[in-house]
Amino acid sequence: MLSLILIILTATFFTGIIIRTKSIASGRKGPGIFQPVKDVIRLFKKGTVYSETSSFVFRIAPTIYFSSVFVAMLVVPFGQSKGIISFNGDFIFFAYVLGLGKFFSIIGAMDTGSSFEGMGASREALYSMFAEPAFFILMGSLGLLTGYTSFQEIFSALHLGSPISYALAVLAAFVFLMIAMIENSRMPIDDPKTHLELTMVHEVMILDNSGFDLGLILTAGFLKFAIYGTIIFNLFSGTIAYEYAIPMFFAMQLFLAFAVGMIESFMARFRMNQNAQFIVVLSSVSLLIFFGALLISGKFI
Amino acid sequence: MIELINLSWILALLGALTIYFVPANKKATLATIAVVGNSLVTSWLAILALTGQIVSFTFNGGGIMGDVIIRVDELSAWFILIINFTCITGVFYGSGYLKAYENSSKKLSLHWILYVLFQLSMVWVCMIQNGFVFLIAWEIMSLSSMMLVIFDAHNPKTLKAGINYLVQMHISVVFLTIGFIWVYFQTGSFSLDAFTTYFGSNSNIWLFLVFFIGFGLKAGFIPLHSWLPHAHPAAPSHVSGVMSGVIVKLGIYGIFRVASYLKSDYLILGEIIITISILSGLYGILNAAVHRDFKKMLAYCTIENIGIIGVGIGIGLIGLGNNVPILYYLGFGGALLHVLNHSLFKSLLFYSAGSVYQQTHTRNMEKLGGLIKSMPRTAVLFLIGAVAIGGMPPFNGFISEFLIYSGLIKGIQLQDMTQIILMILTLAGMSVIGGLSILTFTKTFGTIFLGNQRQTLAHKPHEVSSLMLIPQYVIVAVMLSVAVIPQFYLQIIGNILSGLTKSIVIPQPVEFVGYISIMQSISLYSVLLIGTIAFFWGIRALALRGKPQVVGATWGCGYTAGTSKIQYTAKSFSKSLSKTFNFIVIERKQYEELQVGEIFPKEKKYTSHYHDFFEFRLIHVVTNRLIYSANYFKFIQNGRIQSYVLYGVIFIIAVFILTIFNIVL
Repeated sequence: MLSLILIILTATFFTGIIIRTKSIASGRKGPGIFQPVKDVIRLFKKGTVYSETSSFVFRIAPTIYFSSVFVAMLVVPFGQSKGIISFNGDFIFFAYVLGLGKFFSIIGAMDTGSSFEGMGASREALYSMFAEPAFFILMGSLGLLTGYTSFQEIFSALHLGSPISYALAVLAAFVFLMIAMIENSRMPIDDPKTHLELTMVHEVMILDNSGFDLGLILTAGFLKFAIYGTIIFNLFSGTIAYEYAIPMFFAMQLFLAFAVGMIESFMARFRMNQNAQFIVVLSSVSLLIFFGALLISGKFI
Repeated sequence: MIELINLSWILALLGALTIYFVPANKKATLATIAVVGNSLVTSWLAILALTGQIVSFTFNGGGIMGDVIIRVDELSAWFILIINFTCITGVFYGSGYLKAYENSSKKLSLHWILYVLFQLSMVWVCMIQNGFVFLIAWEIMSLSSMMLVIFDAHNPKTLKAGINYLVQMHISVVFLTIGFIWVYFQTGSFSLDAFTTYFGSNSNIWLFLVFFIGFGLKAGFIPLHSWLPHAHPAAPSHVSGVMSGVIVKLGIYGIFRVASYLKSDYLILGEIIITISILSGLYGILNAAVHRDFKKMLAYCTIENIGIIGVGIGIGLIGLGNNVPILYYLGFGGALLHVLNHSLFKSLLFYSAGSVYQQTHTRNMEKLGGLIKSMPRTAVLFLIGAVAIGGMPPFNGFISEFLIYSGLIKGIQLQDMTQIILMILTLAGMSVIGGLSILTFTKTFGTIFLGNQRQTLAHKPHEVSSLMLIPQYVIVAVMLSVAVIPQFYLQIIGNILSGLTKSIVIPQPVEFVGYISIMQSISLYSVLLIGTIAFFWGIRALALRGKPQVVGATWGCGYTAGTSKIQYTAKSFSKSLSKTFNFIVIERKQYEELQVGEIFPKEKKYTSHYHDFFEFRLIHVVTNRLIYSANYFKFIQNGRIQSYVLYGVIFIIAVFILTIFNIVL
């Protein structure tokens, strides 16, 4: 329950801070950090425009996408406090519920019969497919390290190990951050600010969405960032008492948002055909974590 | 209860006989009666077995066969129920699907008689506990399904696919025969129970591998899968649905049956099976992702799912080898549940794809598009099947995949490093399969049903008849029942598994009960997911009330003269994937380059198609060599009667001389 509140709170400022950081880094003053949320609220009040090609799939897809992110959010724990949904192997549920949302956002894009939106849909499907093994190997290794199989138990047992387990946590944080960037279609995989349809990934998929539906998709994006931010915090939190953990959490989220903003300011997007290779690298980093976990648990002969 | 066993074959044979004599429009009805009758009888036996009353009877089959035991135990019962359900939906759907053929009475008689025999033989394969009689039933099953595949026998491609299937099934029978004879020579009995004796005193691995190849050919593990992508597209859709739904599962049944007698070598066999299976899964889904013939796509997807089932079997065997009962329950349990789930959603997908084929007469998805407007019910059914087969909640695919995933995660906690590495790589492979199936099915659904019509069709497609839709609704209902009350199915599976292994008794571990309650809560969370969707949908409806809703053209990047041809195609959707994996999915293109000095270019043709790696690089190479060397012996078969008489004379003389010199006795 605690994690739910914290994630929703984080979601309100995370994207705003990224945008503010980018503005300041490029010498502009930039909008306030709550501007993205205000934009979404404005969208919620608007009417909609539909393509004449589209069917009910296009209308329901954003709702299902948002609901899947919402349910996935309920799985994420915060330190010692469990998520609302918690059971052995809940991270599989987490990944597959997000998969359901992705499925519908892809077919929603294809429903418009556009030549661009299919392109974005195809890329989104491909990149998230490549990112899957990194997540699963990582969670599997953490399971091997701790002997547990649910998010909350894994994270609360993680700190008990040796200092090496903190080193592994840093690597794991890197992998999670990159997965978050892929899932949210940010740099270096995708540039949300690009103005050419041919080079977009996520933005091109939602070209035809408007009004309430667009608002839902954007909100889901904010939540996704906060979800992964919380997971990264969980890697380090262990059994820290709440009065310290909650301020630390917000400090870390601010830092993460700042880091994402800096990455986006000073890095160019990868060439489209190198994205796949880059994402596969994440799986190798996960494998590295796996071998580290094997070493620590003494099963490496 | 023995009367029931006899009633089964009497009903089916009587039905098959009378189908021949009734007029063409009554044949389907009669086949339905025969199939349903036989199903009721055998399902009754199966339910008895599942409630603890195992029916068994023995008759003497003479000198070679020995005592033939017909027994319906829990494992048979599970498969019999799956076979019966799929065959019943198949016969209803098929009656609607073949309505157009009512003027060709002979074709229909043959088809429906064979369909009844097909179901009878499949059910009996599960009941017979004697190797010799098993092979006879197995052979009837293969032959009848082959004849069902070549319904369109005037089409040379269909005939070729049928012959391919026939040949491969007989290679499978060769392996099975070798296996049974091997046991017969060691133990003197064809009875399956003799396996206990054999495995007790001999090496387990080789005999099991012989059976694994034999049954694996039926199931479609790589590299033994190459009949599937040919046979499934060629067959009429209800037959493909039943074949993919159950006939490949009988290969799995065989593997389960033989595995239940194993006594040692669990670990090495588990490792072999898990490796082959995860590779089958990856290979199957990768090919499914690139193919544009939607029935071929579904056939490759079957290979993928067989891979997932195989991973479950592998985990179970590793669990047996390490003496970890929970792995045995999670692995075998996940495999058994996935057998049920796959038979449900795959038949649903084949039926709805068949409806598309019936209305449009093309299997090429690039020619379709926008069918959701003319066939909304079929579209929704296909969508449900697609989400379920991707293993996504809130449907049943997630339940069985979750069990197998849990097995893998439990397996990571084992002690041996090789096994841990195998488990984590399989886990990664399973996640790739999950991601690729999203890509595959968004591509298929998006291209066939969404967007605009890509080509004008000869007939305007309409929604299919309710005779074809109702079986699909029933399948969806059963799928939802697995998703909502998984504990019911898991308890049955728990009972099957506690009595499965013959050499050791593995009591249900407490942990498994824990997993059943996890499943229960997952079904709750699935309902929660649906509730969340409904909630936000309601909020959306409230928010949109009174707001302007405009309908306009799709954003065309400022270009206003777009046609339906500029839509993103299925080929381009999977192009980046096929480029990344071009060493496995081999693409062949045929086109003419623009010549230098060709001022007025002629109309050009461009074709591209994908080859099956194993067929192209392995099977064709071997068969081409065989044909090449066989060419040298062509002179023997020269068509002159004189030479044939001469061969006879030479043979007789040879036998005569050889006996004189005591070389042959």
